[in-house]
Amino acid sequence: MVVDLPEWTALAPALFVGIFALILFALDSIRREPVSHRLLAGTAAFGSLLAFLSAVWYLVVGVGDPGERGVMHLFQDTLVVDQMGLFFAAVITAVTTMVIIASYDYLGEHAHRGEFYSLVLLASTGMVMMAFANSLVTIFVALELASLPSYALVAFLKTNRGSVEGGLKYFLIGALSSAILIYGISLIYGVTGSLQLEAVAAGLTGEHTSLLALGVLMLIGGIAFKTASVPFHFWAPDAYVGAPAPVAAFLSSASKAAGFVIAFRIFIEAFPLETMLAMGIDWVLVFQVLAVVTMTLGNVAAATQSEVKRMLAYSSIGHAGYALIALAALTNAGPYNELVLGAGMMHLLVYGFMNTGAFLFIAMVEYWDIGRCFDDLNGLAKQAPIASIAMTILLFNLAGLPIGGGFLTKYFLFAGAVSAGFWWLAAIGALNSALSLYYYSRVVKAMWIEEPTESTQIESYPLGLYAMLILAAVVTVVALPAFGPIAETAMSAAEILLG
Amino acid sequence: MTGIPIEYYVLLSAGVFCIGLFGILTRENALMFLMSVELMLNAANINLVAFALLHGTLTGQVFALFVMALAAAEVAIGIGIILVLNRNFGSVNVTDAATMRW
Repeated sequence: MVVDLPEWTALAPALFVGIFALILFALDSIRREPVSHRLLAGTAAFGSLLAFLSAVWYLVVGVGDPGERGVMHLFQDTLVVDQMGLFFAAVITAVTTMVIIASYDYLGEHAHRGEFYSLVLLASTGMVMMAFANSLVTIFVALELASLPSYALVAFLKTNRGSVEGGLKYFLIGALSSAILIYGISLIYGVTGSLQLEAVAAGLTGEHTSLLALGVLMLIGGIAFKTASVPFHFWAPDAYVGAPAPVAAFLSSASKAAGFVIAFRIFIEAFPLETMLAMGIDWVLVFQVLAVVTMTLGNVAAATQSEVKRMLAYSSIGHAGYALIALAALTNAGPYNELVLGAGMMHLLVYGFMNTGAFLFIAMVEYWDIGRCFDDLNGLAKQAPIASIAMTILLFNLAGLPIGGGFLTKYFLFAGAVSAGFWWLAAIGALNSALSLYYYSRVVKAMWIEEPTESTQIESYPLGLYAMLILAAVVTVVALPAFGPIAETAMSAAEILLG
Repeated sequence: MTGIPIEYYVLLSAGVFCIGLFGILTRENALMFLMSVELMLNAANINLVAFALLHGTLTGQVFALFVMALAAAEVAIGIGIILVLNRNFGSVNVTDAATMRW
């Protein structure tokens, strides 16, 4: 017998991270003597772990499933707790927890550790709220709550030129794209008279289609920034390279997932394909172009890099392109919409783990201070075999080799695109995956086959970073045999959203 | 709605938006960039308030208040980043911070 909780407790994943961010602020500022690093990191990790567990718990007991405990509509339907929201809340908080635990070693004796953890938790709150937001107002506010701490986090190493430059570029492009996004929202409000997503859909009368089209395009611009896809992708390489590596892991995984969840919700709920096509606004076409350009640009640019971190940054742009297929392969009342959309969600889940893991490996390399280029990793497998094995697994998963969940999700994405009749999307995706295998193997080759050029001695093996790196690798591998429940949840989340 | 027709408001806001966009594309000073972004946000505010009047709902006006608060928060973060930019690169020019290629 489950006790019936009040309705607002459905927001528990967001509340936990938010409250713990404030607790950290208080803890860090009230005590006169410096608070121990272990306490700060422990509190932060505990908060995000609670949020993760609550999201998973809600998924298990069937909150957000109309057949079981029902979808929760809160605050006049401006927030909605459905299966997709909880699914992404779980992804985001899992990544947050991993990043926080890994940061414990990475930050070491840095002076502003308390602020770091609370900023991470605040950004995470914004991202979880993005997963639940069901009105253009809450979407915009949540997006800003996720973005503002992220700018500060990228520029966190105040005396490091790269970090400041990355932060500046991230901020400038972020500010521009949020201005464009809000202008787009104002136009949509003008045409439809509402900001709540279902009400927007109801307000589509077929008048002022050109204004509406402009608004939708501007909205896509704002989403492209958050997901690091073309045309607002160019902050990503510099911000990820300049940022502390755990922050890069956080932004490229959690922030991207949050960007996609608002994209899914806005375009499925507010702009139903049937009505929009009748008005001559084919947003699927826009996403098709963006998906093709994003994955091609990301992968080709990644293949030409000499720095590992920058290569991973471009590869994360490429992965945004794959995930965009989830919107690009939708058809009007098509029978495969569920498959395509669900595959996109699964891909973002597995990607969240494998990409976070890969960036945490970079964090470890930065911790050891052995250089940023491919050559610097030469012979690393002899000194750090476990980390190298984990990184190899993660990279092959990113490429889509059949040794983990990365293969299956990509397979579902491409299969969905083919079934929906977009074989060329799948073909371009497969070509890009083949190309990605080349540059991922370069890292593997450097670690395992090349002889070290100079003898760098690794002195310490950071426990937290190691544990999270191994966890990420294990989860990606386990996702292969345990794919059933993941796929089931994602598919039913997509079904509920498509309603 | 009486008096000024809605088209004029939209034209005004489109003009303000374009001035802001032009400023972003041409100015190199990061502070000017911030001001231009403010113009673009305020263009959206004009729209929101005008459309709220047109539709007879308060949603747009309340949202405009939210946008103002968020714009202030954004400037606060932005000034902080520009401050550390100035400390590291000795200027507030966005083109000076170019140790990495775009």
